[in-house]
Amino acid sequence: MPGSDKPVAFERSENRTRILLGWEERELIADLAGQFRSVLAEDTSPDLCRLYPTAYPDDADKDSEYASLVHEDLLRSRLDAVETVEATAQADSIDADELAAWMALLSSLRLLLGTRLDISEEDGFDPDAADAPTRALLAWLGLLLEESVAAATAHLPPHTHQ
Amino acid sequence: MSPGPTPVEVDKPDLGSDEEIDLERPWIVLVWNDPINLMSYVSFVFQKLFGYSPEKADELMLDVHHKGRAVVSNGNREKAELDVFRLHEHGLWATMQQDT
Repeated sequence: MPGSDKPVAFERSENRTRILLGWEERELIADLAGQFRSVLAEDTSPDLCRLYPTAYPDDADKDSEYASLVHEDLLRSRLDAVETVEATAQADSIDADELAAWMALLSSLRLLLGTRLDISEEDGFDPDAADAPTRALLAWLGLLLEESVAAATAHLPPHTHQ
Repeated sequence: MSPGPTPVEVDKPDLGSDEEIDLERPWIVLVWNDPINLMSYVSFVFQKLFGYSPEKADELMLDVHHKGRAVVSNGNREKAELDVFRLHEHGLWATMQQDT
């Protein structure tokens, strides 16, 4: 759990990050990455809405201009992350850029699943609910993201603002 | 801390039509609360993208969490749009609008 002492997924080791996950967990991540690529390629799922948000809520013209300008770049950046995670899924350790790709994928998967579940902040976990497995997956991805944040914070350059 | 550059006399700027864009009201970039993103991740993204200290990033993140939104950057339209894009790339719910 977040806040506990012993990491289970990512551990910083000098200038790299060690991946502590077991083989099955790594297989699951690689499999989810592949599924995510398919959803991205289809580009029609309403669950993708959080991945391509509105920039100009009060101006439809500017917003569609923005969307057409960045859509390809956002897609490219997510596909790159998928590729990096697939390539490093069984690695002992990853560098800062690879860790950033893992974080991007974990965050994207959570947005996709959370949107699909129509998650809200007040939601508790009901183990008997039909969507319990997806909710458990969302929570597990959250734990991984939490630990990757801890590892990545050490890679940040000195802050430039107050 | 560097004391900063020595002040120098500058010529009065020429406010011709080419400068009109600089007279535009500045744009602000807002990040909105959402139930999916983790608080620690949001704070991390603020540090990574804008160079905020951990304390300042946490403060902004808590504003997003408790007040529903926070202004995380500002500037001309191009800069604001780039910041919005980078926030979207990181999965945050960001919008931009002209400062009132």
